[in-house]
Amino acid sequence: MATVAIPAAKWNWVGPYRQGPMANSLDADAQLVERCLHGQDAAWEDLVKLHTRRVYSICYRFTNSDSEAQDLTQDVFMRVFKNLKSFRAGEGLFVVWLTRLTRNLLIDHYRRTRLERATESLDDQVKVLEETGSRADGMLAGREASEVLQAALQKLSPDLRETVILRDLEELEYREIAQVLNVPEGTVKSRLNRGRAELARVLRRHKVRI
Amino acid sequence: MTCAELEILLCDYVDGTLRGEERSALESHLAGCSSCAELAKDVAGVTAFMETVAASEPPAELLTRILHELPVARPAEKRSWWRNLFGGWIHGVLQPRYVMGMAMTVLSFSMIAKFAHIEPRQLRPSDLDPVKIWAGIDDRTHRMWDRAVKYYENLRVVIEVQSRLKEWTDQEQAQNVEANKQRGESGKQKAESSGRTTESSGQKPEAGTDQKKR
Repeated sequence: MATVAIPAAKWNWVGPYRQGPMANSLDADAQLVERCLHGQDAAWEDLVKLHTRRVYSICYRFTNSDSEAQDLTQDVFMRVFKNLKSFRAGEGLFVVWLTRLTRNLLIDHYRRTRLERATESLDDQVKVLEETGSRADGMLAGREASEVLQAALQKLSPDLRETVILRDLEELEYREIAQVLNVPEGTVKSRLNRGRAELARVLRRHKVRI
Repeated sequence: MTCAELEILLCDYVDGTLRGEERSALESHLAGCSSCAELAKDVAGVTAFMETVAASEPPAELLTRILHELPVARPAEKRSWWRNLFGGWIHGVLQPRYVMGMAMTVLSFSMIAKFAHIEPRQLRPSDLDPVKIWAGIDDRTHRMWDRAVKYYENLRVVIEVQSRLKEWTDQEQAQNVEANKQRGESGKQKAESSGRTTESSGQKPEAGTDQKKR
């Protein structure tokens, strides 16, 4: 019988966004949005401070470029500023609305830069993975693991990549990912399995121990 | 359980949220299907690997950049009384390029005022009379011109060059005078010598005649 090591402990929770000191963050988001819509400038600052890390992280993991991620994060908040009136608190979570907006911008950016990427060299990504492969033990963690994962993520198709990022790195729930991507939950799970399996193959090919 | 059904439940299994019969059915399928077991192993392994990955933190300046770009995202508590008083337009005026332009304008006006001999501390309405300003500028220009000429003429190099030129001019004049003098004397001598010749030629026939006479 094949034994599968399941990291069960990690998955018994519902994400950092919904526990601990942030337990009331859903209410906090709704209140913040309300204050923003009432023209309170300080609320905008709080909203940006609260969600910059998440938006930047998604953009960075997807584009693999710090400068592009920064520009896109800025664009996302400019779009939030212009379209916040279209957010309905009763129809869903603000974080889902924000992630969907981020994802749409990323897809636009992906389509716009497709030609540029086709002519770009993938040497840097290959280099990161090859350097990792040269390590005797293949055991990675922290920043090093982050760089390797970053390079490996670029090998995935956009559909699989965004699903893996939203679930495994941003820790959204399947239902939320389905709302963001506008696909059924079953499709999310299927993409997630395929994305993770592909990622495992890429990492193993470069002798990263998983 | 089929492989397709397993694929749907695998996420929950890896999450540790799958319970009861479904979990048992999935595990028994994994025991008999090597490809699904391989998939489950990969999925579980890569999720464990991603747990070790450091979060990607945005650079600190990004927040400032975003807040600066957002038209309203300026904290109310930081707004000073004069900004509240003058509204948003003062922010635009306080941009570095405008401040620099204003500074240059003030500097230019102060230089013109100094040039025109207008003392800002003693400024009166009568000082702003155009005739008076023009007279001041004219007077100042002449004074400056005289001062510049005087300064130029008092330069040692200029004095040396001028004295040298004067020497050369004097020498040339002296040479000219000398040459004229010599020319005049030689002219006289020529005239004298030609007079003598005519005299001597006038005597010769006489001598000839004398000889003939002899």
